[in-house]
Amino acid sequence: MTAHARRHGHALAEYPPGDLAIWVFILAELLAFGVLFAAYAITRLKNLDLFNEMQLTLNRDAGALNTLLLITGSWFVARAVAAIKADRRHGAANFLLAGIASGFAFLVVKYFEYSAKFDAGISLDTNTFYMFYISLTMFHALHVVLGMVILGFVWNKARQGAYTAREHHGIETGASYWHMVDLVWIILFPLVYVMR
Amino acid sequence: MSPHVLNVVWIALMAATAVTWFVGEIHAAGPKAVAVILAIAGVKGWLVIYDFMALRRVKFLWRAVVLGWLLLVLAIIMLAYWLGLK
Repeated sequence: MTAHARRHGHALAEYPPGDLAIWVFILAELLAFGVLFAAYAITRLKNLDLFNEMQLTLNRDAGALNTLLLITGSWFVARAVAAIKADRRHGAANFLLAGIASGFAFLVVKYFEYSAKFDAGISLDTNTFYMFYISLTMFHALHVVLGMVILGFVWNKARQGAYTAREHHGIETGASYWHMVDLVWIILFPLVYVMR
Repeated sequence: MSPHVLNVVWIALMAATAVTWFVGEIHAAGPKAVAVILAIAGVKGWLVIYDFMALRRVKFLWRAVVLGWLLLVLAIIMLAYWLGLK
């Protein structure tokens, strides 16, 4: 496929953007989250009253705000990829930094959300619902942290001018992982915070 | 993906999130409300996969795997919810 065809979408790329290894990792992560979501849905089925009652104690506004933050972070990073493809190296680095900042804001919101719950004496042992809520959201938050580490590494290289319109594999690798973190939360939010 | 397309997708995702938040805000329950929020999650996931992950212009197999994951997970959630109604 020629560069011309790729730019104009006349032909489909053989592989997704970024390193192939990150895609193997992304698919493994999606599988893990898929199993956890199915486990949540099935456990809810056996504990309907408990799950419906406990869901009302969650901070839905915090969950929605965090959805907006991850979507915005994903958008910043997608703009970083678009920027480097236009050889806007400085712009690409700034968009990556904005993506990292969105992830940081997500963690701040999560910190306040968890603090309120832990101060109220809630833990993994409280009940089945909270066991799922805490483990599922913390598992996801770990992926936000890992995504920020990857983006931090890529941003550091980007601000040193390591990426160009021709060579920006690293940015696409970080971006693909970051979008996966967003994609998973897009299901987690309605499943845990809203569905009843 | 052009910056313009990315901006439009971002606004659509934000608006869709507001709808899901609102469904929660009015404590809407039942199969219709759940079908709506899961459908919204499906559309949002689709947009992220196609335009942010940029799989739109990648060979079908890759898109099929990730979209297949999205649809399968949403279908399992809907099915489990449905079974809980009985």
